[in-house]
Amino acid sequence: MKPTLNWQIASITTIKPETPNVKTFTLKLPSWMRHRAGQHYDIRLTAEDGYQTQRSYSIASAPEHEGEVDFTVERIEDGEVSTYLHDVVLPGDRVEVRGPIGGYFVWEASMSEPLLLIAGGSGIVPLMAMLRHRAAAGANNPTALLYSSRNFEDVIYYNELNMLSKANGGPNVFHTLTRSQPASWEGYSRRIDEAMLKEVAGPLGRTAQAFICGPTLMVESAANALVKIGIDSNQIRTERFGPTGG
Amino acid sequence: MEETTDINRELMLDANATAGLLYEIFGAEMTASPTECANCGREDEIGTLLAFTHGPGIVLRCSSCENVVIRIVQTSEAIYLDARGAVYLKVART
Repeated sequence: MKPTLNWQIASITTIKPETPNVKTFTLKLPSWMRHRAGQHYDIRLTAEDGYQTQRSYSIASAPEHEGEVDFTVERIEDGEVSTYLHDVVLPGDRVEVRGPIGGYFVWEASMSEPLLLIAGGSGIVPLMAMLRHRAAAGANNPTALLYSSRNFEDVIYYNELNMLSKANGGPNVFHTLTRSQPASWEGYSRRIDEAMLKEVAGPLGRTAQAFICGPTLMVESAANALVKIGIDSNQIRTERFGPTGG
Repeated sequence: MEETTDINRELMLDANATAGLLYEIFGAEMTASPTECANCGREDEIGTLLAFTHGPGIVLRCSSCENVVIRIVQTSEAIYLDARGAVYLKVART
């Protein structure tokens, strides 16, 4: 019997800045439930006059991390929820959440096919949960991450991704910076395209299971390019972020 | 890919984003459940539907023919569900 999906009041234990626009919020949940990597929670805010608004936020932490959940949230200018989280919330504050939710965009370590992860901006968050889960579970399926950011300072989890990629059996991590690059940049310097995907995904073969998360236009073009290089559309799962609305 | 100026398309999400609301309506996780488009007959998981969430209601469209599959409107008293664009929805017993 599955527990029903009820709203619960979580308390914020820590807030960690990741980039100038992105913070990770750790929430302690009174009834924590093991999630699947890629799932999300709904976060609901209620104003004093009763006005309510809610957004979905992907879980960043691995399911092996019990009792708490990390959400890495980008501050969206004019957003109702992300600006509140970034500008108002302090450790010890409480927010209403329900979850974990979603069965479509999930990866579990028991899935042994090669894994191809493609992220744009804060679209890295659910993919990071997959990579953290993969590391915690000791999975060794061939895995590659292609992560597109605007500038170097916008790259979320840079150091952790570096460490993961150097670990035994760790993923191959590829970065591309579309707007500006530091002087000695050795990664890609353009938007994700077919040639890039060929280099990144080629070694994984055609059975790779692909997860793409990012802004709508980036997700569409990456998914189309993957189909062009021979990956079946049934093996491609997408999660689009609207550019606004957070 | 051609540039698009259609704001609705730019704000488009996947039905994953509506998983919480669908769970509220059906009492089950729905995004990995199959549905069939009444217009083109495509059968796929609900999570693949295109979600337009920025209007007064939520519209889920077929990822293949883009016909409206599901519409949901919420008021303070009730949730209205129009699923005439689906041949069927599968609701898992929990």
